[in-house]
Amino acid sequence: MDILILDSWLREYIETDATPKKVAEYLSLCGPSVNKIEPVGRGNKKDYVYHIEVTTNRADSASVYGIAREAWAILPRFGRKVRFNQLKSNLKQNSVSEVNYLEAKIDHKLCPRFTAVLIKDVQVKPSSEKIKERLSLVGVRPINNVIDISNYLMYELGQPMHTFDYDKIKGSKMVLRASKKGEKLTTLDGKIHTLLGGDIIIEDGKGRLIDLAGIMGGENSQVDAKTKNVLLFVQTYNPLNIRRTSISLALRSEAAVLFEKGLDPELVSLGIKRGIELFEKLTDGKAEPEILDLYPKPYKPKRLKTDIEFITSRLGIEIEKKEISRLLEALGFKTSWSGKDIEIIVPSFRTNDISISEDIVEEVARIYGYHNFPSYLMQGSLPEPPKNTPFEFEIKVKRILKGMGATEVYNYSMVPKEFVEKNALRLKNPLGAESEYMRDSLRPSLVQSVKQNSGEKGPFHLFEMANVYLPRKGKLPDEKVTLAGIFSNYTYREAKGVIESLLEQLNINAEYKPEDSQHFLPSRRVKIATGNTPLGELGIVSTRGGSAFGGDEKRLIYYEFDVEKLRKSSKSVSSYRPIPKYPAQIEDITLTLPERTRVGNIVSSILTASKLVKSVELTDIFKDAYTFRVWYQHPGKTLTDKEVEEIRNKLLKEVKKKFGATQKI
Amino acid sequence: MQEKIQNIKNQAIAQITQASSSGELEDIRISYLGRSGKLAKLIKEIKRLKKEERKQVGILANDAKQTIEKQLKVQQNKLREMVREWFDPTVPGAKTPKGHLHLVTQAIEEIAGVFKKIGFVRVRYPEVEWDWFAFEALNMPKWHPARDTLETFFIDAKPHPKYGQILLTPHTSSGQIREMERVKGAKAGVDSVVRMINIAKCYRRQSDVSHVPMFHQFEGLVIDEGIAITHLKGTLDYFARNFFGPGRKTRLRPYHFQFTEPSFEVDITCDVCKGTARLPDGQGCKLCKEGWLELGGAGMVHPTVLKNGGIDNKKYTGFAFGWGVERTFMMKSGLEIDDIRLIYSSDLRFLKQF
Repeated sequence: MDILILDSWLREYIETDATPKKVAEYLSLCGPSVNKIEPVGRGNKKDYVYHIEVTTNRADSASVYGIAREAWAILPRFGRKVRFNQLKSNLKQNSVSEVNYLEAKIDHKLCPRFTAVLIKDVQVKPSSEKIKERLSLVGVRPINNVIDISNYLMYELGQPMHTFDYDKIKGSKMVLRASKKGEKLTTLDGKIHTLLGGDIIIEDGKGRLIDLAGIMGGENSQVDAKTKNVLLFVQTYNPLNIRRTSISLALRSEAAVLFEKGLDPELVSLGIKRGIELFEKLTDGKAEPEILDLYPKPYKPKRLKTDIEFITSRLGIEIEKKEISRLLEALGFKTSWSGKDIEIIVPSFRTNDISISEDIVEEVARIYGYHNFPSYLMQGSLPEPPKNTPFEFEIKVKRILKGMGATEVYNYSMVPKEFVEKNALRLKNPLGAESEYMRDSLRPSLVQSVKQNSGEKGPFHLFEMANVYLPRKGKLPDEKVTLAGIFSNYTYREAKGVIESLLEQLNINAEYKPEDSQHFLPSRRVKIATGNTPLGELGIVSTRGGSAFGGDEKRLIYYEFDVEKLRKSSKSVSSYRPIPKYPAQIEDITLTLPERTRVGNIVSSILTASKLVKSVELTDIFKDAYTFRVWYQHPGKTLTDKEVEEIRNKLLKEVKKKFGATQKI
Repeated sequence: MQEKIQNIKNQAIAQITQASSSGELEDIRISYLGRSGKLAKLIKEIKRLKKEERKQVGILANDAKQTIEKQLKVQQNKLREMVREWFDPTVPGAKTPKGHLHLVTQAIEEIAGVFKKIGFVRVRYPEVEWDWFAFEALNMPKWHPARDTLETFFIDAKPHPKYGQILLTPHTSSGQIREMERVKGAKAGVDSVVRMINIAKCYRRQSDVSHVPMFHQFEGLVIDEGIAITHLKGTLDYFARNFFGPGRKTRLRPYHFQFTEPSFEVDITCDVCKGTARLPDGQGCKLCKEGWLELGGAGMVHPTVLKNGGIDNKKYTGFAFGWGVERTFMMKSGLEIDDIRLIYSSDLRFLKQF
């Protein structure tokens, strides 16, 4: 919750020699954060507005008075002189549970404390210059003295209040109850709301809904220029009802934002008395001598117990008992020590947020000042790391790909319906149709990534390593870390070379078997496996509108791997093989292959033709002529030309028999 | 005689221009100009000529000798140049294509690296998680705005009777309970010691120039006997020094989170205005708040959270922090990316900058 506090207004309650900049710095270190100091006003009317962030548990400090209370505790810690002008009221009004000017029936589950007072003969007119200026500087538009008073007091005390035109409340009667579903109410901004049920509303003697309590007043009871008698109205409400109504009707009024945090019922007394004071002073109105105050369960001081050892162990430093008391008492707590034990009475305005010993530790620590704490690194034993974490392997794979010119992308996990299979996980509340499902494949995202770069003329290779989410009945989905990539303007051979290189660098002995699959063009995909473990796939993808990518060589080439399987198949260090003692004989053999012969099969056939063939590589393709470089090697001797000839003949015979391949001389 | 000299000269020139090595040239020199070379022999014969002829022939012979010598030199130079094949070392190189790791990957590596040195163990937990781990066990009340469908993504699936709805983790804190459960029984004797760094994708219902529905957080969690505020401060200072460099200062501000007590926000001095909130030209710094940039939240683990993770909260205490990866990295590098959504686009013009 961000609030604006005027420096001159704040200084009405705290008198200090600290400059606004210093006040902001000290508050930020020990209390609410001051995000900005904005200079306002001119000449000798120079002033500042603090932009302060109040956390949701500290609605008690969301006001000039609340900030003053914090400053009172904090500023002396920085050696600043501070005088705190506490707000008190000397009004003679009595609080009673029945008054003659209003009959009220209250559901106290919705409204723990209800107060109201009738102020007669008010004169509705513009406010004083001072009030108008203060309100303007904190961003509130002055309207008339009646409305301005309630706004002014909300900023001053953090207690929202409301004013009714008393004569518009039919039958001088109010029923505060939960709304029924479908009831209609017109708020003072002229909007008609159909209520959901469970909203806090007020009904008058004629059954008209006259207030959306705690959020916005009703149009039919609002104060106008002709108003003579005002009912000043100060309450606390059940924060859950307020929040629900305010969110569902999208009515985020300042009053609602405060009430939904849960306000201090004790503050109500001060609120209504300050209200009466200002009304009598600024509207010439006369308040009735009795305040209607319905407060069936009055506040009982909250007590907490803890001890010095607990506090010291959580702080990590020793603060003396006397000092602890001083720090807490500055914040309005009462303390009493008995040996090691301390009993603390929590002030009413902190009841909601102080419940356990750790809360006390926080109060002591922050006022003492976190900047005064030393910094230590932990000692003690180290935890047992989980076995086989994948992180090192994952970055290794990424670095290898980067080394080969690939660019990494991060796509959203949420994708449109056309990106997923039938049973994919669906979000209940997506931001839009383009992010309604959790992706079960990285392919559609990567195809889209390529399309985002349609202006790119040269070859490029994008990859991503991310979870895919595979649904499992009654369980969380299987989150499978997947590596996928896509090549644009690469030939198939170039792309496959990158993948072969990657797997070689990971020391994975991979096999590539042609096998058709959906999403790939027919006979343009290989399944990649090592032994019996499938690892992934590579192929030319069919993309909708794929013709835009031209012929085979220009189509997108996509690959995908299960990272966990890659990791388990990868050896971090390749195994050692003794360096051969005798040199290999190397020769190039050019074969003429019949149409539609798979070169992969020729290679494995040459390799298996003899144990003495150590290695085969395709070095050149010219029309139907394929040149292979063949390494012949014997572990125990240098092969003679004659021996090489024998092996050569054997392998030539083999490829001729199997594939009809003939040697080109 | 004159004709003979002329012939020898022409013969020599012809041979020299055809010579292809300096050795050959040397042979030619010897065969013409050497002591018993062809020209030398002729010159010796000049003495026998008539006096009137002698002068004329002498001039001619001398001219022939000089021409041959000059021609030898020219050819020598030509040969020397020919040995040096033409080569241009200034030709631009044919570069291997340059790859790029995404800036989120770079950030994660750097961040994890800093914490690894002080014994933090990197873990990974579900991104699609039960409400229990993301909210309920973290002491988040049912009415908390974060649990609202306005802020968190929920999966359209049947809720678990015990763990509640399935959702997309809005923070890495959901790994806290998972890690507490993991360490129990992992190692005898120190079963509740945690020093975790959990880096993962997080999801929130937001999308504008400074928010994306998917982003990354890193979560630190330390649990041991005697862990205090001073340790949290020590760890965060260590990170700030080693990640941002020694020139930047941090501060803790009191804050409020449901799963920590006390809670803080951690700030670091702004690198643009050097913590002064003013730029050299006197203008206010737009990047920071009065000289400070917000890193993220931290705090001492709430006793209820320890209890929900099965940790004895009388014996053990801990601290936790969870910050945005992208944000932290941008604060380090001073990168000002005007539209944060670019990070999750595939635009090569963006990706190739990192």
